[in-house]
Formats: sequence, C-alpha cells, structure tokens
Amino acid sequence: MSLLQEADRNHLINEFQALTEPVKLVMFTQEMECQYCRETRMISEEVAELSDKISVEVYDFVRDQEIAEHYNIDKIPAIAIVRGGQKPKDYGIRFYGIPSGYEFSSLIENIMMVSRGESGLSAETKAWVANLQEPVHLQVFVTPTCPYCPQAVIMAHQLAMESEFITADMVEAIEFPQLSNKYHVHGVPRTVINEDTHMEGAAPEPILLSKLQEAVA
Amino acid sequence: MSFDLNLGLGMSNLGGGEDNNYDVVIIGGGPAGASAAIYTARADLRTLVIDKGLTAGALGITGKISNYPGVPGPVTGAELVEIMRAQAESFGAKFLTDKVVGVDIHGERKMVMAGTGAFYTKVIMLATGSMGRTSVVKGEEEFLGRGVSYCATCDGAFFRNQTVAVIGNNDEALEEALFLTKFADKIHLIVPTPELKAREALAAEATTHPKIAVQLGTRLKEIMGNGQVAGVRVHPRGGSEETLPVTGAFVYLQGGKPITDYLMEQLETQPNGCLVVDHEMQTTVPGVFAIGDLLCTHIKQAVIAAADGVIAAVAADKYIHGRKAVQTDWK
Repeated sequence: MSLLQEADRNHLINEFQALTEPVKLVMFTQEMECQYCRETRMISEEVAELSDKISVEVYDFVRDQEIAEHYNIDKIPAIAIVRGGQKPKDYGIRFYGIPSGYEFSSLIENIMMVSRGESGLSAETKAWVANLQEPVHLQVFVTPTCPYCPQAVIMAHQLAMESEFITADMVEAIEFPQLSNKYHVHGVPRTVINEDTHMEGAAPEPILLSKLQEAVA
Repeated sequence: MSFDLNLGLGMSNLGGGEDNNYDVVIIGGGPAGASAAIYTARADLRTLVIDKGLTAGALGITGKISNYPGVPGPVTGAELVEIMRAQAESFGAKFLTDKVVGVDIHGERKMVMAGTGAFYTKVIMLATGSMGRTSVVKGEEEFLGRGVSYCATCDGAFFRNQTVAVIGNNDEALEEALFLTKFADKIHLIVPTPELKAREALAAEATTHPKIAVQLGTRLKEIMGNGQVAGVRVHPRGGSEETLPVTGAFVYLQGGKPITDYLMEQLETQPNGCLVVDHEMQTTVPGVFAIGDLLCTHIKQAVIAAADGVIAAVAADKYIHGRKAVQTDWK
C-alpha cells in the first residue's frame, strides 16, 4: 500500500516539474527494519517515483558499512540528500528519523533546493559562511507535529548547502531518545551547534548566524 | 512509543496548489481583518482570512458593545465579529481557523505558513491585534526548552505520564490542555482571570476532563526548577501562594503588546517596536499592509480597526491592479 495519496502524488509531480539538476536520496535502513525504517524507505522510494530527476539508493546500515561510513551515517533510518547526475555532490544534508508530518515538507523543500543549486540565504550569511574554515555540525531536533520545525530544519540545511564545512541533521526527537536525553531536548525545534551551543525555536536567519558565530568563536 | 505518521498533514503543508493561491491573505479575523475582507472579496479579490478563533482577539472577548455605528446592540464582541465575518463570507471571502507560524513577505508571490499549510498570495494584511505579552514571569526564559513551552502539539510527547501546567484562559490554552491529555497524566490549568474566556463547548470539555484540574483566578508567579522545570509557584486570588510540582509549563498568557512574532523581524519597525505604515496602511514592503490594534498610533476601538481595514483593502486593490489612484465603489 502506498503512503502517498493520489492527490498528493499529482501535486508533487507538478511541483517537481521545476527540478533542474538531478537529486539522489541515499537511504539507510537494515534487514530487520527499525521502527519507521520501512516507512522512511517507502517515502524515499515513492517520492523518487514522481520525477525522473530524483533517484533513490537504499543501503543496509550493517551490510553496507563502508557506504554508511562514507556518508557519515551513524543511526537509522537516515536519508542523505545529494546532487546526482554527472557532477554529484554531498552537501552534508541529513534526515535522521522519519520525515513525516510537517517534516515531509522539509524533505521536499530540500530536494527542490539541492536541484536548484542555490541555498537562498542572505548575502550577509553567505559572506560569513564563505570564510568559515572549521567544521560546524548542526542537529535540529524536531517532532512531526511541530509546525515551527521545518523553518529551523530548512535553514540548517541551507547552511549545509552553502559550505563544505557545515553539516546539518534533522533529528526526530522521539525516535532517538538517547540523543534527546544527551542534548536535553524537552521542546522543539532545538538546534544544537557543535555539541555545546544551542538555540530554542525557529529563529530568523540573523539570529541563527549570530549563534553560529558564537559557536565557532 | 507511537505517533501518527500524519503524512496527510505533511502534504497539505506543501501548499502551492490552486487552492492555496490567493490575491489577499489576511492574518487575523477581528474587526480590521474582517472589514478588509468585506471590501477585498467584494472587489473580486480571492481572499483568505486566517484567524486563531472567534475569542482569540480583543473584540472577541469583549462582553457588551452598544456604540458600534449601525449596530445599536448591546451585542457581545464575538457576535459583532460574527456579523462582520458573515458579511465578508457573503462576498466570497474564506475564513480558516488556524495559527500563522511564519510569513515570507518578499517578492510578488508572498507566502503565509499556517499550521495546516502554506498559502501563497499577492497581498498580506497583518491584523493580529495587540494582545501579545509584555513581560515574562521569573524562570520562564531560563527554562525555555527545559520544560517551558508555547506549543503543546510540538512538545507534548516529551511529557508522557508526567504532570504539567497550562497557563492561560483562552481557546488556545484550552485546546492545548486537551491535546496534552493524550500524553500527560495530570494537567493543572492555571487561569489568571476569574472566568475562562473561551468558547462555551470548549470550556465545558476542558473543565470536565478527568485529567485537567482547573484553578480559576490564579496568577503564575514563577517557574521553578534546577536545570529543568520542577514546579510552578502560583497565587490564587484571596488565597496564599502554593507550589505545584510539574515538569512542564505551557504558557498561553496574553497582554497588550502588538503581536508580530511571526514576522521574524522581516519588517521595519520604530525603536519602540511598532510597525511603520504609510497613509494607506502599507508597510515598508510593497503589498504588505498592517491594520487595527497592531498599529501603535491606533485608537483601540472596533470601528477604527474596521476603517483601517477598509483603507488597506482599497489600497490593496490598487496595488494588485497596478492602478495609480484608488477606485471607490459608491454604488
């Protein structure tokens, strides 16, 4: 049984007409599929069916350990959204946990952004990010019922697209309770930057930028 | 552990379909927003009004009105708003009960993100009133994200089998308290006023729910804890202060400050935080108008808000059709 409804499929087919560069969804599950691994795989496969610009590769987290390491995948279910085609590129955009509820729109927005090849960030943010010379890791904790969360997820992924030093994860907080405990997540969205710096809520771009500056200072 | 996959919800969030495109999206359905909708809908502009609920704004919770021109009354504020909305709907305006969480105001195709989805529009009218909070209680900022929350639908799942407090008296507070009954064992509903200011049916549902304990006329004094919320200190009117042991505090209090948080600082404001508008109620961004109590210079009367809405509606029509002068309908 399909997860996407017919009307939604048709709507997405139409939206995906705007795709330019090919996009690849690299999905990690395992033989004994984890909670929501199956649904996450199905979402990836069904979305990829809707455009010839989108492809999907499904890997086993255990059997395909080398590939998981190549993409720095440390938990499942996971999706890496990368540019496909002749000039493939991994921007460091990751989804950990099922991109359902409001996060489905984050997934679609990210596919569109990677295909477009343009983050859409402000000139000021781009200028700062361009000078970044050290790794920055953003983890945006979300729940599927949080309407504010996609803003935080998409902005983190925009940053990842802008710099090879930045990686950004959506982390579904309920599926990864050990991470939620580790980072004291009791409300979402909560963005953890390089382990020690954190930000509550979906903040405007300049505020996230100042948090980034604080994190690397 | 389980939650609804909720894919339908996610999909509607995409927006962009024919049903999500409007000429005018009005945020707030009080006298300013509803009056603007009457005029824009009558001018054949595809109009959507997004509003949190009939009793979400200042007029909706006003008891008795006898000075609104043409409506001798007395009527309740909610009744007056309903009359205006029905008039707007008769001209084709659509009303959606929802909460706006963000807007993208730049460009010709602007976006309004609400809980149920994204809506695209040529014109945005901001009519969210001035019932925003002016101050926070002790501990609120310290424990934000550590038990303090403003979104039960976002964070409810973190409070499974726990005791929490919901502080507020309006529809939103009650809806969120009822949502939390899915997760929490017990909910203290701390109501700052002697009565609830919410829809009757909703109030009845919340006050009779076995998991919800209602404390009327009780002020929140402090959110306490040690790295994490551990309790709320409250003061019942005429009684003595007490501390309720809770791990979560969901705050839905109101005040007298213009509500602009969903704008995420995208619009120019004066040093006092007030939005800048011209004589046609247009902000510094073309196609974005602000009307009603949201404006600092505004006299807080329903009829003034309604007039603001009409001025903006006529200007919006001019903006959309690229006219140099307004066209007024005298028929």
